[in-house]
Amino acid sequence: MYRSLAAIVVVWLCCSMPLFAQQDSCGYTIKCLVVESHSGRPLFPVSIYIDEMHREFEADEDGRFTIDKACAGVYHIHFHAAGYEHLVQQLHVTANATLKFKLAHTANMLDEVVVTDEHTHTIIQSKDQLKQSDIAANSGKTLGDMLQAVNGVSVISNGATIAKPVIHGLHSNRIVLLNNGIRQEDQQWGGEHAPNIDPFLANNITVLKGAASVRYGTDAIGGVVLVEPAAVRTNAGWDGEVNLAGFSNNRMGVASAMLQHGFKAVPGLGIRVQGTFKKGGNYRIPGYWVANTGVEENNFSGAIAYKKLHYGAEVFYSRFNASLGIYRGSHTGNEKDLMAAIKSPVPLVQSGFSYDIDRPMQHVTHDLVKAKLYADSKIGHWDLVYAYQHNYRQEYDVMRVNSDKAQLNLTLNTQTLNLNLEHKLGHDITGQAGIDGIYQENFFQTGDRLFIPNYRSAGAAAYLIERYRKNDWMLEGGVRFDYRNYDVYNPEGQNQQVVNYLFDYNSMSGTLAFRQQLKPGWHWSATLSNAWRAPQASELFSAGLHHGAARIEIGDKTLKPERSYNLNLETDFNINQKLSADVSLYSQYINDYIYLEPGADILTIRGYFKTFSYRQTNAWLNGADVSLQYKFNDHLKVHAKGSTVLARNVSKNDWLILMPADRVSLGIKYTTNISKTLQDCYISLDGRYVFEQKRIPSDFDSIDYPRPPAAYLLADAEIGATLQLRKQPLYVSLGVTNLFNTRYRDYLDAFRYFIDQPGRNIVLRVRLPFNF
Amino acid sequence: MKNTFVKIASLTALSAILFTACKKDKVETPAPVEQELITTIKLNVTGDGGFNKTFTYKVENGFGSTTQGNITKDDVVLAPGKTYNVSVELLNEKVSPVENLTEEVVGESDEHLFLFQSSPATGNGAISFSDGSKDGNGSPFNQTIKFNTATAGNGALTLTLKHQPTNKAATIPEAAGGETDVEATFAVKLQ
Repeated sequence: MYRSLAAIVVVWLCCSMPLFAQQDSCGYTIKCLVVESHSGRPLFPVSIYIDEMHREFEADEDGRFTIDKACAGVYHIHFHAAGYEHLVQQLHVTANATLKFKLAHTANMLDEVVVTDEHTHTIIQSKDQLKQSDIAANSGKTLGDMLQAVNGVSVISNGATIAKPVIHGLHSNRIVLLNNGIRQEDQQWGGEHAPNIDPFLANNITVLKGAASVRYGTDAIGGVVLVEPAAVRTNAGWDGEVNLAGFSNNRMGVASAMLQHGFKAVPGLGIRVQGTFKKGGNYRIPGYWVANTGVEENNFSGAIAYKKLHYGAEVFYSRFNASLGIYRGSHTGNEKDLMAAIKSPVPLVQSGFSYDIDRPMQHVTHDLVKAKLYADSKIGHWDLVYAYQHNYRQEYDVMRVNSDKAQLNLTLNTQTLNLNLEHKLGHDITGQAGIDGIYQENFFQTGDRLFIPNYRSAGAAAYLIERYRKNDWMLEGGVRFDYRNYDVYNPEGQNQQVVNYLFDYNSMSGTLAFRQQLKPGWHWSATLSNAWRAPQASELFSAGLHHGAARIEIGDKTLKPERSYNLNLETDFNINQKLSADVSLYSQYINDYIYLEPGADILTIRGYFKTFSYRQTNAWLNGADVSLQYKFNDHLKVHAKGSTVLARNVSKNDWLILMPADRVSLGIKYTTNISKTLQDCYISLDGRYVFEQKRIPSDFDSIDYPRPPAAYLLADAEIGATLQLRKQPLYVSLGVTNLFNTRYRDYLDAFRYFIDQPGRNIVLRVRLPFNF
Repeated sequence: MKNTFVKIASLTALSAILFTACKKDKVETPAPVEQELITTIKLNVTGDGGFNKTFTYKVENGFGSTTQGNITKDDVVLAPGKTYNVSVELLNEKVSPVENLTEEVVGESDEHLFLFQSSPATGNGAISFSDGSKDGNGSPFNQTIKFNTATAGNGALTLTLKHQPTNKAATIPEAAGGETDVEATFAVKLQ
């Protein structure tokens, strides 16, 4: 199988500088470069797997990847790249090192090995990644909260428990979330519907910033979040991991465990099970407990994988199950109640600590079944993925008469199918082509109040993305065609007569990108892309009261699809491993941007309510994300980040409402090894300053009250270490967020009307990976 | 072998897409239910000399409707300088037969509070309120109450029903907390 490897492969030791003299030591860093054997050019994309570590890596666009925290020993390292020989190499780790691996082109040989995993790294686009270590360092947080670490990402929230990401000022249905390669379809209709994903499943999380419809389909106007689990272990043996976290603020405990096994009797067959339990009570803002804000999650997943050299299959199942209490004081009866709550200097509903969850509350389950087949052929690498998602959302309103019934029982069932071919044309062109299909059903139950009408939707798409790579630059172009229809059954008028509507949408989208290396470690890129999305059912058909905001929202059946054009310029710079910088500028024009415009008041039996109607305008969003990092030495590093977004309503020549305020952050981290058993000890301090949002529409006071909250400064601190007990590492950290228990409110938090943001939170985390 | 796989894969994908795109059976849509709807408030007023009148406030909208619906508002016409006994009745006239919700609210009197406000508070056309009924804990509930009319003139009367008020001693809705279930403003004529 691995024939003539010795001849093809050259492992070249550039330099080696021992850090510790001791054997058995861990914490080595191996920097690797993968190149084409005949031209010496960096190779990309390449996926790398190390048997003994059960770790997966992806080479970056310069063919580089880093194996960090490696223990001394002998390893087998596998390389997979489309159109290249499968390479297996023995690796002796005794010191820090820089290595170069060469892969030979298969030159149309029939039976050569081409196995790459997900194709997420193949698109030139401004992106940021949370690696496994970043995810572990933030374990127990919601996905939305975790993503705040990414520059250019903020969150829109309902207090401390419901958070969803905002990328470059856009959120909810303008962002696509890919969970394990599958487009997450979990009723992202409002700000109070958080993504139903267990972050403990993720091995890495990638955020693509800016329009990315070509590969990921409609709706990806603001960007894409890819949540990717590690590959299932298929080589013989057992391993796993236990994660524990405790949070002081809401007395929350989180436990997550994963166990996987590769069968010896059936080589290539592996199985993994994983589960998470989370329970927290009312959280605390400076001076008060927040009534009814408990949270409980029970999530689990299982996967079976069969991996051969040229083909394989995978079946994955996951269930997300959450109950969330919503602050009682955020449900108001009418505008007067809302004003009274806003003007009250103290939270109107007060309570002590409790784990109980009462009305108003949400209960959500999300099931995902995914089946994947993949194989290599002469043309390239094929993937066929089918997925079924079942999302069931129950909302329990505050009721006059006690009952066990939910007032909303919404089901969204989605089936998706994707066939993707990753291919290589000649020496310089790589690409992917594919087709997508989707079928969706959304329905409510007898006895529910009306929120979203029943609908059925089907769609199909075809796409092609090609990349030409020459010496130090590459050019990428892609096109996609989408078709989507909606068959809607909307109860209307005083008699709630069901009226059937049919909507058909189809559109082209495209991308053109260029990336060039100016000097080793210094790149710049330009991306021109577009994306579109069809108006969602709530924008077309809303006709009712929004309790949290005490307002009536009115849909418009004549809304057209939104279309966005995005230009992104980025440069990343990393020289001498000391200073690294990343500057990204973007400009996004959105035609027919859908937003809510205030209208006449309506008198109801509860009194007067403001009305808001869905309208369209042209929007223009410009912004910048800047991040800098300086490493003084192996121990001390500092980083600084900043982001801004200027969002204009072009048609009205005014600012757009509810856009994230400018923010800057500064952090410092000191890392050292104290002894053989106490390694990677660190202490870090982080500060975040969020400015007051002053770019608001001129008619703000007639739409919203009060004005956006004041600027705030928050400080976080953390200490941590790796306890190396023989070969068994144990990761421990103790962190504090909102160190000074600062009182503040955030403009994108829906609870800003009622209460402050959470106070000080002390978090203890323990992570124990094991292997036998 | 490989080609077969490719063919099978493409066929599977295409057929699935075609299949889903062509399915066209009818979707059953249940009638949505406005939860715990109140459409109508009735003030049943009795007084000296066999005075017995009912004043109605009815707003028919908010249910699948985004425009202002029909509003029925009776003027509260009373004599000046008198005392009247008033009891409040709540109805849902959207359903047939009409649902009387008064008993339900009375049954949970500790979680509800009726508030009456007069404008002007004193002087010509004003009404003052006394002897409101109490809940099981002896706190104000006010489902039955006495109206004491002042001198002749025109004014307005606002009735608010609060659910789960945080302050049952409140006399104005802004101080009561909780959610407003009903807010009705009647024109008042003392003549």
